[in-house]
Amino acid sequence: MARMKFYCDAERCIECNACVTACKNENEVPWGVNRRRVVTIKDGEPGERSLSVACMHCSDAPCAAVCPVDCFYTTDNGVVLHDKNICIGCGYCFYACPFGAPQFPMDGAFASRGKMDKCTFCAGGPEEDNSSAEFIKYGRNRLAEGKLPLCAEMCATKALLAGDADMVSDIYRKRIINRGASVLNWGVSYNNAKLRS
Amino acid sequence: MSKLIKKSGQIKNIDLKVKPVADAINRRAFLKGSSLMAGGAALATTISPVMMKKAQATSTSGANTQQIRTICTHCSVGCGIIAEVQNGVWTGQEPAFDHPFNKGAHCAKGAAIREHGHGERRLKYPTKLVDGKWKKVSWETAINEIGDKLLDIRKTSSPDSVYWLGSAKHSNEQAYLFRKMAGMWGTNNVDHQARICHSTTVAGVANTWGYGAMTNSYNDIHNSKAVLLIGANPAEAHPVALQHIFKAKEENNAPIIVIDPRFTRTAAHADHYLKIRPGTDIPVIWGMLYHIFKNGWEDKEFIRQRVFGMEEIRKEVAKWTPDEVERISGVPVNQVFAAAKAMADNRPGTFIWCMGGTQHTIGNNNTRAYCVFQLALGNMGVSGGGTNIFRGHDNVQGATDLGVLADTLPGYYGLSEGSWKHWARVWDLDYEWIKGQFDNVAYSKDGKEYIGEHDEKDNASHVMNTKGIPVSRWIDGVLEDKDNIAQRENLKAMIFWGHAPNSQTRGVEMKNAMEKLDLLVIVDPYPTASAVMHDRKDGVYLLPAATQMETYGSVTASNRSIQWRDKVIDPLFESLPDHTIMYKLAKKLGVADQLCKNIKVTNDEPLVEDITREINAGMWTIGYTGQTPERLKLHQKNWGTFDFTSLQAEGGAADGDYYGLPWPCWGTGDMKHPGTPNLYDPSKTVAEGGLTFRARFGVEKDGVNLLAEGSFGKDSDIKDGYPEFSGEMLKKLGWWDDLTDSEKTAAEGKNWKTDLSGGIQRVAIKHGCSPYGNAKARAIVWTFPDPVPIHREPLYTSRHDLVEKYPTYEDRKSFWRLPTRYQSIQAKDYSKEFPIILTSGRLVEYEGGGDETRSNAWLAELQQDMFVEMHPRDANNAGVKDGDDVWVEGAENAKVKVKAQVTRRVASGVAFMPFHFAGHFQGKDLKSKYPEGSAPYVLGEAANTAMTYGYDSVTQMQESKCSLCRITKA
Amino acid sequence: MIKPIFRIKIEQLVRPVFLILLLFVILLQNSHAIDTPQQQGISIKNPGSDLWREVRQRDTAIQGTTQIKSVDSNVLINPQADRWTRFRVDKLINIGFIVLGSVIGVILVFFLLRGRVKIEGGLSGNMVFRFHDFERVLHWVLALVFLFLALTGFTLLFGRTLFIPILGHDIFSLLASSSKEGHNLFGPIFMVSLLMMFISFVKRNIYEKGDLTWLLRGGGMIGKSHVTGGFFNMGEKSWYWLVILIGFAISATGLILLFPSFGQGRIIMELSHVIHVFGAIILITVSFGHMYLGTLGTEGTGESMKTGYVDIKWAEAHHDRWAKHCHDNNLVITADEYARLQGKGKVGYEPVSTTAGESGK
Repeated sequence: MARMKFYCDAERCIECNACVTACKNENEVPWGVNRRRVVTIKDGEPGERSLSVACMHCSDAPCAAVCPVDCFYTTDNGVVLHDKNICIGCGYCFYACPFGAPQFPMDGAFASRGKMDKCTFCAGGPEEDNSSAEFIKYGRNRLAEGKLPLCAEMCATKALLAGDADMVSDIYRKRIINRGASVLNWGVSYNNAKLRS
Repeated sequence: MSKLIKKSGQIKNIDLKVKPVADAINRRAFLKGSSLMAGGAALATTISPVMMKKAQATSTSGANTQQIRTICTHCSVGCGIIAEVQNGVWTGQEPAFDHPFNKGAHCAKGAAIREHGHGERRLKYPTKLVDGKWKKVSWETAINEIGDKLLDIRKTSSPDSVYWLGSAKHSNEQAYLFRKMAGMWGTNNVDHQARICHSTTVAGVANTWGYGAMTNSYNDIHNSKAVLLIGANPAEAHPVALQHIFKAKEENNAPIIVIDPRFTRTAAHADHYLKIRPGTDIPVIWGMLYHIFKNGWEDKEFIRQRVFGMEEIRKEVAKWTPDEVERISGVPVNQVFAAAKAMADNRPGTFIWCMGGTQHTIGNNNTRAYCVFQLALGNMGVSGGGTNIFRGHDNVQGATDLGVLADTLPGYYGLSEGSWKHWARVWDLDYEWIKGQFDNVAYSKDGKEYIGEHDEKDNASHVMNTKGIPVSRWIDGVLEDKDNIAQRENLKAMIFWGHAPNSQTRGVEMKNAMEKLDLLVIVDPYPTASAVMHDRKDGVYLLPAATQMETYGSVTASNRSIQWRDKVIDPLFESLPDHTIMYKLAKKLGVADQLCKNIKVTNDEPLVEDITREINAGMWTIGYTGQTPERLKLHQKNWGTFDFTSLQAEGGAADGDYYGLPWPCWGTGDMKHPGTPNLYDPSKTVAEGGLTFRARFGVEKDGVNLLAEGSFGKDSDIKDGYPEFSGEMLKKLGWWDDLTDSEKTAAEGKNWKTDLSGGIQRVAIKHGCSPYGNAKARAIVWTFPDPVPIHREPLYTSRHDLVEKYPTYEDRKSFWRLPTRYQSIQAKDYSKEFPIILTSGRLVEYEGGGDETRSNAWLAELQQDMFVEMHPRDANNAGVKDGDDVWVEGAENAKVKVKAQVTRRVASGVAFMPFHFAGHFQGKDLKSKYPEGSAPYVLGEAANTAMTYGYDSVTQMQESKCSLCRITKA
Repeated sequence: MIKPIFRIKIEQLVRPVFLILLLFVILLQNSHAIDTPQQQGISIKNPGSDLWREVRQRDTAIQGTTQIKSVDSNVLINPQADRWTRFRVDKLINIGFIVLGSVIGVILVFFLLRGRVKIEGGLSGNMVFRFHDFERVLHWVLALVFLFLALTGFTLLFGRTLFIPILGHDIFSLLASSSKEGHNLFGPIFMVSLLMMFISFVKRNIYEKGDLTWLLRGGGMIGKSHVTGGFFNMGEKSWYWLVILIGFAISATGLILLFPSFGQGRIIMELSHVIHVFGAIILITVSFGHMYLGTLGTEGTGESMKTGYVDIKWAEAHHDRWAKHCHDNNLVITADEYARLQGKGKVGYEPVSTTAGESGK
């Protein structure tokens, strides 16, 4: 069975935020909830790199482990989804996730959290595939249509890859090899300019 | 050196037993799946049958989903979009995986384009300002009142008192109609965003070798062995272009060189980064050329055959020693040398620039220097080389080509009598009638004096033939003393048609100008800051225009390809497509019949395809003649058949064409010219898309041959340089009888630009010749203020000590109808009071004036505050911490209140502000002044409120990349 | 542990790596000097590799910048998340079970072995007033709220392991949801009660001479020697301070957890959560002891909180100094007097001196 994974190629990511808005577009995610975000390290300095981060659909998902009501489930493809009907908005999955993927609309008393929302790998939720109930709660179910998450499909530089883990790593490996041939020359301003040829 | 070049060839040939590297980027087989079950074959084996269950009746992907093809409206890359519409509602957006420009990719704006179907903050109905309050009116009322006022102004002042400010976001058809309408009205006071964006590029580049557009294409960068970017930040302004640049970087090991005052996101992915003081492009480019000449790296053969005037350049370049370069620009020699060597060693290399280079008083010098650099290296007219100019808005290229400019008619024909007569023929109108529409005044040829009624003997230029006021100076058209303006009266009415005000400088004066007008009309999908930045109580009309998603037509991408958009949804609320509004207004003004004489009109909407055909009938200069609506639609339907790198269709219905038939697409549509993917490339025949440099500047200068020597296009019957083609020339060459009889009738006494049958072009091409001649590019433009591009300090410079050696121009009494100051401003040293250099630029989430994108919640959430980037040293000096509110005071005493972003991106002594914000003015929040429900989600200060006076010496481009300011804690 | 996102098969890499090395060697042969002025170069190795080395170390949260404004949105990876998750899932729940279960077990065993601690010589019937209405109401409010919080807290901590197999996901979700809301609502009530409890009893819980001895002798449980105590003996004082201090910790962390909108990051939340749960478990565990002692464990203790009066013999047994004080101040009332007070419905406020010669009706 395929395991669905994301991979963001930091050498290509230019922080254009297409993945962020594509997700908002496709899933009609409201203001304040951001399933995907781009984090930039060393902003403004040499070595600046960006990564697009959302739910990584971990094989051994800590969010699923820690949920007090066990509302998570993993599909056959390795996509980690959850049931909003069962979620109680406690926020533990947010603490458990190293990537901070779970998001909470602030709409309870004392600014308490509403139901958790997160990237679904565009695979919807437990409701019936492509039904309007599913769309309202979880956003689009592209996997059921044979498509892949829109964030990766719309990435400006094809930095964000999504899909079967073997194929993703295959693609990335080829890129590494391709770049590897010039690994000596990256970031060199002058002295080794001759090796550029 | 050649040994080393060969090595990279070897790298590619090593069989690493992996799939071809093209797959690294082409995920088509892997990811295609935009139609229900079509693609995703790889996927099918890996997804369980349960997941693949077909959609239900209530699904979002039902059988009644239309898939409509259109093009993004946010920048000139021209990314393809597949819009999914159900029952007239825009419900989904799919990536266009087989579109040759973007392969389904987008940036934040393109990925959010479906919001155009929501349009919550749109201008919903025609609105009028009555006693300080916005009142809804009907279209009839609005058009009637506006029309009456315009006609009144025409009578009491003159037609020149109305300013028609057009848009780079119009489709080609709308832009053309707009320019035509200004002509029908009788004024040359018509312009659009190109003025403040790439006008210096067009002027500088066209005057170097013939056409002022991107010479190759984004896709052609795949073939580049080096990429140099100066004053360009595609990571934020053209993100999808990075896809192509990365391909060069990763597959060709192309070094990426970025020259910019800021360490931009593009610089973060570059191999060489040169930090320059804003406004010092010439020192750096000449500094690079210094090393190239010194080491003999220039392409001498290319220069001999195809370049005029390089000797003069050598003399100027010799002055730019490494020490002088470093002294002026701040870039040390090793970096300049490394960059020069990288470009010299890795040919062909491409040269990219944007606003960083163009928005200066010496913008035309900069752009020409860039061209000269590429000429010196022989990087012109080759695949992978060229000057790849990234234009801004989605159709700024088209609007420029179609002449929405104060100094020309469609097709760059200019404003001479011959030009008007040509277009009179195309428009099927009486030339005298058109002339009669203009004010009957004239000026002496040097434009320096105002003369009363037109008088032939005084050698005067009729106002029909003189350049109008450019958009960058429209406020002076209102505020300047009318005796100093080369037209009868001041501007009284301003029509902002698809153009924001906050992209022009001197905001405080603009507010005054807006208040002095008799009439202010805004035609836009959004109110824009024009609706709120002034304190008027009446005389303002807002007309809701439909976006390009709600109409259809063609659009020209930066690489000159023309793409056809289909209509996604009907116009929202009460908005109307621009061409419908134009027709309604023309009806009221009494010029509708002339405007659409040969254009079918149904329910006040001119037929778009008829407009396209009229464009095809008249735009011979740049070859907009072969791109018929039928061919363009065919390309759109078959955009998947075009090759990713060469853009040529291999098989399929458009076999042999280049995608979008990039202009020049010579001859009539029947000739089926495939378009010209790379300009000036003699390795192909003209019929296959090859070209030579244009013979535009005469055949000889100072005794030197201006025509090409020994260089000519493939299969050219003339094996040397030749001038542009005319009927006479065909007769001399003995090719006259190749014309058909009807072509002969049309071509008699005409040339390749004015022969409406296209016969001259057809015959020239038949003999392998470029219709516009085969000449040398000229490195010196003897008609410009600085024939050899030289460095001049900005008007507001931080290095006043350099003004003596590098002064700006003398003040001019009348330039584009207005007095224009240079020296009198630079004379004063502002650098003590205003010690920080202020520059401006783009953000990826927003576009242009910003009201449209800031009204899109998905984008607005990502940039909620206007800010200024400042260096930690300057922040500490001002006692400012990251996130504090600060006042940025410009050198002309306008100030803006913004948040401080303390970062090392900018150098110490330099500050950067994005220019997309509007809705605050000098600390005041104007949200309440917007019409109900149409204020954008995010408001902020406009950077250009604080930007200062300064205009290019040829095109009046504003100098918004180097001014001065001081920053204090608020 | 978070497993790596993709695996590269080693054998697939061997050839490309070899070829790259070969290339490296070849290219090195071709280096030659360029004559140019000023040779010093600026050589920056790929800055990305330093960056990722830093990120991989993962000891602290890697902070960057982002356009999204949200809690911790600029943190790339939070390394604590994993530690906290494993702690909660693998250790905390088990610790909780063990601690709570074993304390119940210990108390049970203790009861079976030792039985109820009776007063020597039995209760006399002569009562002395101990707690006002207000104090008793406060105690019960606090106790009930505390129990409620404990139960709802347990539901959230142990519910998944214990209840889902019985109730199923949907019903348990309802239960957990109401537990969460209830827990959130009663938390502040607990805090207020705790504060009032603190104010009411603090003076009587200050350390006095002899308290340490009491403690060291296990309150008399260890050996038979007599221990001395005031109004409150050291046992009760210890319990008091435990409640106050740990209660304070639980309240503070509870507030932090309750209001996530003040931008506190996950690391603070995780830490608060651990302190909150630990504190709660300790408090609940010791409260078992308190509840046991107050009911089954010792004779005569429960009355203090039910009626406000205690038998003087009880006082002499457990709080000898206070008993002496009562005797000295004629605060002891007879059984008849007590009965009269009870009959009249008044929950005794004015103690009547036995020496005053008051006789029953």
